Amino acid sequence: MLTDAQSELQSLGTCLRGTPLDRLLLAGLLGAVILAWLWIDQQLNHGDPVVRIYHGQRLLAIYPLPRDTRVIHFRAKGSLGEAEIAISREGVRMLHAPCNSQRCVRSGIHHRIGDMIICVPNRILVSIEGDARPRLDGIAE
Amino acid sequence: MNIARPDRVRLIRDIQWLALLLLATAMHVIEAAMPSLGPWFKPGLANIITLITLLLFGGKAAFLLATARIVLGNLMVGTLLTPTFVMSLAGGVSAAFMMIAAWRCLSARHVISISLIGAVTHMSVQFAVVAQLFIQQPHIYFMLPPLLLLALATGWINGGIARYIATRIRHDHAASL
Repeated sequence: MLTDAQSELQSLGTCLRGTPLDRLLLAGLLGAVILAWLWIDQQLNHGDPVVRIYHGQRLLAIYPLPRDTRVIHFRAKGSLGEAEIAISREGVRMLHAPCNSQRCVRSGIHHRIGDMIICVPNRILVSIEGDARPRLDGIAE
Repeated sequence: MNIARPDRVRLIRDIQWLALLLLATAMHVIEAAMPSLGPWFKPGLANIITLITLLLFGGKAAFLLATARIVLGNLMVGTLLTPTFVMSLAGGVSAAFMMIAAWRCLSARHVISISLIGAVTHMSVQFAVVAQLFIQQPHIYFMLPPLLLLALATGWINGGIARYIATRIRHDHAASL
């Protein structure tokens, strides 16, 4: 607990400045997180973006992002019900989900390799990964 | 029948703890209504109250407050016993545990360090719970670094605010005696 000596009134600015130990810890954690991020970036393939849709451990479908104007609609059966996913040239988005929070729907459109849409209650993961292999028309279960 | 009068100091302490619990629960509900910056990312406003409780009342009171706040907060937003509750409970309880351990090892001056440890633990444990129990795809960890950077920023600010409020409460309390 704070002792009386430590409880001398300080301004918010002074409190936010932190101690040398706080700054050291922040520098260490920042370094570790940035290194982990760089390592992860190296692990991701940087080929053409491919959308993979999972329910838990099961891979439901793989689609490359279309180069033309067509929009692919995929219905993924999750733990709560069906989720509707739209894949277009602009990216991938969750159009409908049976969860209460609708955060996956509100997260909008994603197009970069490494982006993900996760619906935890419905256990659906939509992941954009790089794939250097030849382009597919789509594989669905 | 004789009923022993409760100790006044203890009674005041219990009322203060209860007031902090209600404040933390209100912050939990407000955070749930705020727009999300990323999956499972919250600014951790309720954690400011856990930190203040840790500094003013000690580890046991802080742990109980963190656990009770998660149960009450999820009950109020209608997510009790859902995956959101499991993530929230696992993250919140483990963060409280790590913050208490850090508080025992470090001086109470290093509130920001304690807060940073709590923020990183909360985010990492939530990801581990999602990866193990719900989504079961290890590559969701690829999303962790940017969210950890946000957690470090909010952890720093929350730690500074908690230190300011805790010292202010103690200062005002000492002045009123």
